[in-house]
Amino acid sequence: MIKYQARITAIGPLVAEFIDHNILVLFGDQAPEELAEFSIIHDGKEMHGTLAVGDKIYLGDDGFAVMAVGEVASNNLKTLGHLILKFNGETEPEMPGDVCVEARPLPAIEPGLEIRIEEG
Amino acid sequence: MADKEYKRVKISAGKRGWGGPLIIAPEPGKDLIYCVTGGGIHPLAQHIADLTGGTAFDGFKSKAGFEEIAVAVIDCGGTARVGVYPMKGVFTVEIHAIKPSGPLFRFITEDLFVSGVGTEQVELLDD
Repeated sequence: MIKYQARITAIGPLVAEFIDHNILVLFGDQAPEELAEFSIIHDGKEMHGTLAVGDKIYLGDDGFAVMAVGEVASNNLKTLGHLILKFNGETEPEMPGDVCVEARPLPAIEPGLEIRIEEG
Repeated sequence: MADKEYKRVKISAGKRGWGGPLIIAPEPGKDLIYCVTGGGIHPLAQHIADLTGGTAFDGFKSKAGFEEIAVAVIDCGGTARVGVYPMKGVFTVEIHAIKPSGPLFRFITEDLFVSGVGTEQVELLDD
């Protein structure tokens, strides 16, 4: 089952600084400007089910296994298109909004790239 | 129209929260209780607006300048929204009991930020 599907529509000027920390912040296109500054803006709308350990989050063709899901992460994605992805391989979320995935380098992030979350 | 009367509130950290206390004093032109929680105006933001006479404002629905914001109310859960309003010099109230973290960590200071806040942490200072 595909839980979420979206395309990147814009990339904020501070996104690179967050990638240096192995973090990607996503927001839907209704995000205020100050949040768009450090976010990947996308056109995702509908969510099916909730995020869970074992899901795979694809950035284009590159799938990252979900290792931890914070308690407010699913609701953030559902209501705001908001997701905090940490590429740190942790199995415990540090913060309630975190989704932790495998620790490995990110693919090139550019407008038009598909983001897809598949059930594990 | 008579000038709107504003009242001050003191907002303290809740259990396991961090930072503050903050004194929030809306004034003409800077009276927005800027809610960035999603799903409409959060009850905490509404509560602060009701006590102070400020205007509850949904940051996901409309735009406002930072200079119009008396306080931002967020439920970030830790990484992004938590730092951006302190970075802009805006008083920030976080509903979740979290400590500063994330790439914007350095902007989150006790004089601008308080976390773990519920309605019981908001105290009216003026009669």
